[in-house]
Amino acid sequence: MIRNYIKIALRNLWRHRGFSFINITGLSIGITACFFIFIYVAFELSYDNFHTKADRIYRLVTDIKTPSETINTSSTSWAFAPNIRADLPEVEAFVRTSGGSFLVRRGDVKFQEENSMFADSTFFKVFDFKLVKGDPRTVLTAPATIVFTESTAKKYFGSADPIGKTVLITGDAVPATVTGVMKDFPGNSQIKADMIISMTSLTQKFNKGIDGQWGNFGATTYLLLKPGTSPKAVEAKMPAFLQNRDGDGMKKSQMFYRLMLEPLKYTYLYSKRGGQEVGSISNVYIFSIVAIFILLIACINFVNLTTARSVERAKEVGIRKVVGAEKSQLAGQFIGESVVLCIIAFLLTLGIAALLLPAFNQLAGKTVSSGIFSNWYYVVILFVTSICIGLLAGLYPALVLSSFKPVMVLKGRFSGSRKGGILRKTLVVAQFSISIALIIGTIVVYNQMSFMQNRDLGFNKEQMLVLNTNSDPAKESLKNAISSIPGVVSTASASSIPGGGNNGAYSEIENKMGDLQIANLDLYFVDYDYVNQFKIKMVAGRSFSREFGTDTAQAMLINEAAVKLFGYSSPKDAIGRRFKQWGREGKIVGVMKDFHFRSLQEVIKPLTMRIELHSLDLITVKVSPKNLNSTLAQIEGKWKQFIPNRPYSFYFLDEFFDRQYRSEQRFGKLFFNFAVLAIFISCLGLLGLASYSTLQRTREIGIRKVLGASVPGIVNLLSFDFLKLILISCIIAMPVGWYFMHQWLKDFAYRIDVQWWVFVLAGVLAVLVAVATISFQAIKAALSNPVKSLRSE
Amino acid sequence: MLSLQHISKYFQVGGNKNIILNDLSLDIDEGEFISIMGPSGSGKSTLLNIIGMLDEPSDGYHYFEGHAVHQLKEKQRSALYKQYIGFVFQAYHLIDELTVYENIETPLIYQDFKSAERKAMVADMLDRFNIVGKKDLFPAQLSGGQQQLVGIARALIAKPKLLLADEPTGNLNSKQGEEIMELFRKLNKEDGVTIIQVTHSEKNAEYGSRIIDLLDGKIDSSRKL
Repeated sequence: MIRNYIKIALRNLWRHRGFSFINITGLSIGITACFFIFIYVAFELSYDNFHTKADRIYRLVTDIKTPSETINTSSTSWAFAPNIRADLPEVEAFVRTSGGSFLVRRGDVKFQEENSMFADSTFFKVFDFKLVKGDPRTVLTAPATIVFTESTAKKYFGSADPIGKTVLITGDAVPATVTGVMKDFPGNSQIKADMIISMTSLTQKFNKGIDGQWGNFGATTYLLLKPGTSPKAVEAKMPAFLQNRDGDGMKKSQMFYRLMLEPLKYTYLYSKRGGQEVGSISNVYIFSIVAIFILLIACINFVNLTTARSVERAKEVGIRKVVGAEKSQLAGQFIGESVVLCIIAFLLTLGIAALLLPAFNQLAGKTVSSGIFSNWYYVVILFVTSICIGLLAGLYPALVLSSFKPVMVLKGRFSGSRKGGILRKTLVVAQFSISIALIIGTIVVYNQMSFMQNRDLGFNKEQMLVLNTNSDPAKESLKNAISSIPGVVSTASASSIPGGGNNGAYSEIENKMGDLQIANLDLYFVDYDYVNQFKIKMVAGRSFSREFGTDTAQAMLINEAAVKLFGYSSPKDAIGRRFKQWGREGKIVGVMKDFHFRSLQEVIKPLTMRIELHSLDLITVKVSPKNLNSTLAQIEGKWKQFIPNRPYSFYFLDEFFDRQYRSEQRFGKLFFNFAVLAIFISCLGLLGLASYSTLQRTREIGIRKVLGASVPGIVNLLSFDFLKLILISCIIAMPVGWYFMHQWLKDFAYRIDVQWWVFVLAGVLAVLVAVATISFQAIKAALSNPVKSLRSE
Repeated sequence: MLSLQHISKYFQVGGNKNIILNDLSLDIDEGEFISIMGPSGSGKSTLLNIIGMLDEPSDGYHYFEGHAVHQLKEKQRSALYKQYIGFVFQAYHLIDELTVYENIETPLIYQDFKSAERKAMVADMLDRFNIVGKKDLFPAQLSGGQQQLVGIARALIAKPKLLLADEPTGNLNSKQGEEIMELFRKLNKEDGVTIIQVTHSEKNAEYGSRIIDLLDGKIDSSRKL
């Protein structure tokens, strides 16, 4: 019987190639989109899950309460972990990591390893990262020992065995021994690096005693708790621990810590404190919802096309019942057919997915999956999903079809039930509501993106390139040499540039009441030319100037946000006030207009600027657009002349700044692609329905034409029914789209308002696409010869 | 074999009762070949459909082979029907997507015959109707007469005791019609199949053993030939 069903199913599909094509294409695209979203979501959810002890590993995070604010950070002091391990028996082990950028040389091979990391010797014990060579217990024990990842090792050693060999690190050419080679970090690890240096290198060599400084933050700490230990219990012991170990220190600095544990598995998606790589659980939700919507749209197509065609199948149902088929047997047959269709769609999906996977990886910005068969269970899930869709989407049409009465369908004319018509209309409305809501979403995301990229940031980032000297002693002479190149307009040095990181400094600044108020403030070290170079506007006082000798040690610039923080009603009032910061004391000499030194997702925070000439690692170079290539070549020449030890590299500030929006841009692109898919699948369905309903009304059209109806009249008649549905969809989609995009925009401190024209545009787009889809069928029908259509009756 | 007693069939259209069969009683014995005649709208097809259990009467009693059909549940009725009744239509009503062979095989599938048995039965039937050469063709590739032959072969494949035919020759030319009628007569005489046919043609009606004339939902006359 099954064979008979499958045979009929295949023949039916072939006889109605057009419908089958629409049905299968729509379904395949839907399943493919869903599949991609599924692997993306699965990838996001899999972060850090591969550690066998993942359930016992926690990230130690700190809330730092200062008199002015509370800072929530993922950073800890180097001193915390060893002392916690000593005081709290619940803690089995700890790993501290801290990022760094190292110049690494071996003979002539030299790279600036931007993505380096210090880590404790317990690294390979607590985490499941795999060493290819070396003893996991000892590789990171001694100072100046290194573990390379396989790809990094290859850069320096090719196929030779690196174990026991020496490389020179930092500008001071410190020899370091390679003690291990590890597998490259998996894509779904939040902890990633190209090379790992033993933590003892930092605590005993480069920055001796840093693990005794309680107030010095910068390490990420992971704690491995003993089995069966509750993190809450450990957290509860933290206040006493801190009070006991650093009570006096906290009181003196007026910075009070609160330590908490975040489960490692949740840090990537849920933590708001940031980290090496940050995911977003709300994006995971958004995409999951979009996936379900797309699948829903594809299923609706399926149901609609199948029930619409039921009239054609009615005769077959009648005959089968007459020759003895029972309702359940017929229902089985139709469900079987839809399953067959879904299996075809599944096979097609496999092909499409395999083909598009590289493009999808690129779109997602990471290797979500290296091949659709690399995780065989994905394919199984895909298959099961397809079958389920076949069963579910086939169920309703099967019930409708199998309940036809043979007498009704075999005798006389049979027309589709009215109820089915209403259901189809409802489903079409649902499809288009979803599609229009997605279009609205896409437009809003794009608007916000372009708003962020085009907004006046309050500083100049064009034609500016940035060189990182990594504290090379020759940086000052290099800067001077670059200034003399003809194509260079100006240069300035600084510790930080907008869009990059900067120091946060414990500061005391005189407030409105005349007291020294303690605050943790963002701090830029700059030179005299920085403010001019970036065209930052001054609203009160003056900028740094070489005319004032005391500016190098006793002058500070603050921004308007800082003015507000310390209670001054006008920037002018802040001029001449006292400050203490990182061992320097002096007066505020000027107030800068607020500029966006972070991304537009964040509110502009209080910022301080001081001159500290020895701390200016970054050289910013404003270049003339003319002969840019020659200028760049000359800059490179100067670098090689002054800092031959270090590999040359530079970046443009505008690109660097926009990098902050990469994840939003990616989000926008993904969203856009899926929205297009959704509307495409909806239109496929509409095309099918329109052609079907036109077919059904052939006789009516014939009669109307004989009675004198015009072609446009008939086109209107046929299109209007569907347009009405699209308009209803618009009305439903608009508030929904508005609500969701309003929520999404809330994440941005600086954002657009959702304008009315967005809705009009989305609606008009949907109507245009729908009209194009329907009118093709309608015009064809209207132009046909009535004699033909009437004779066919 | 079957007995209809005080059968009525009516529809409610607006406020009017639209009567199709009006208190009709009829007994049919095994081995009879009955032709039902009457003008359009006299209720011929409805009567046939009720006999064939495709339609239910609004009132009355219906007995078939000792079963009270009017009391049976859908499933039981279906089982009874499958076992005893074959149907032939004016418009043949073959399944377009199936070949001749598969069309004839279909009833057997619904009666759970094993594959080997089906093969033998269908081969036998093809042979009997001389359509072995056409077994892999689709209905659209056959003439009307040939399609009707397939339709009859399908109706007979499960060896029904009662064959119901609704204007079986209505779409055929007179020569094809005669052939079908000869076939019916042979089935009735040699195989003992009870046949009830609806027809407009006096000539075809005379192949039967009894002619029943319907008028306005009642039996106008019943003549034995």
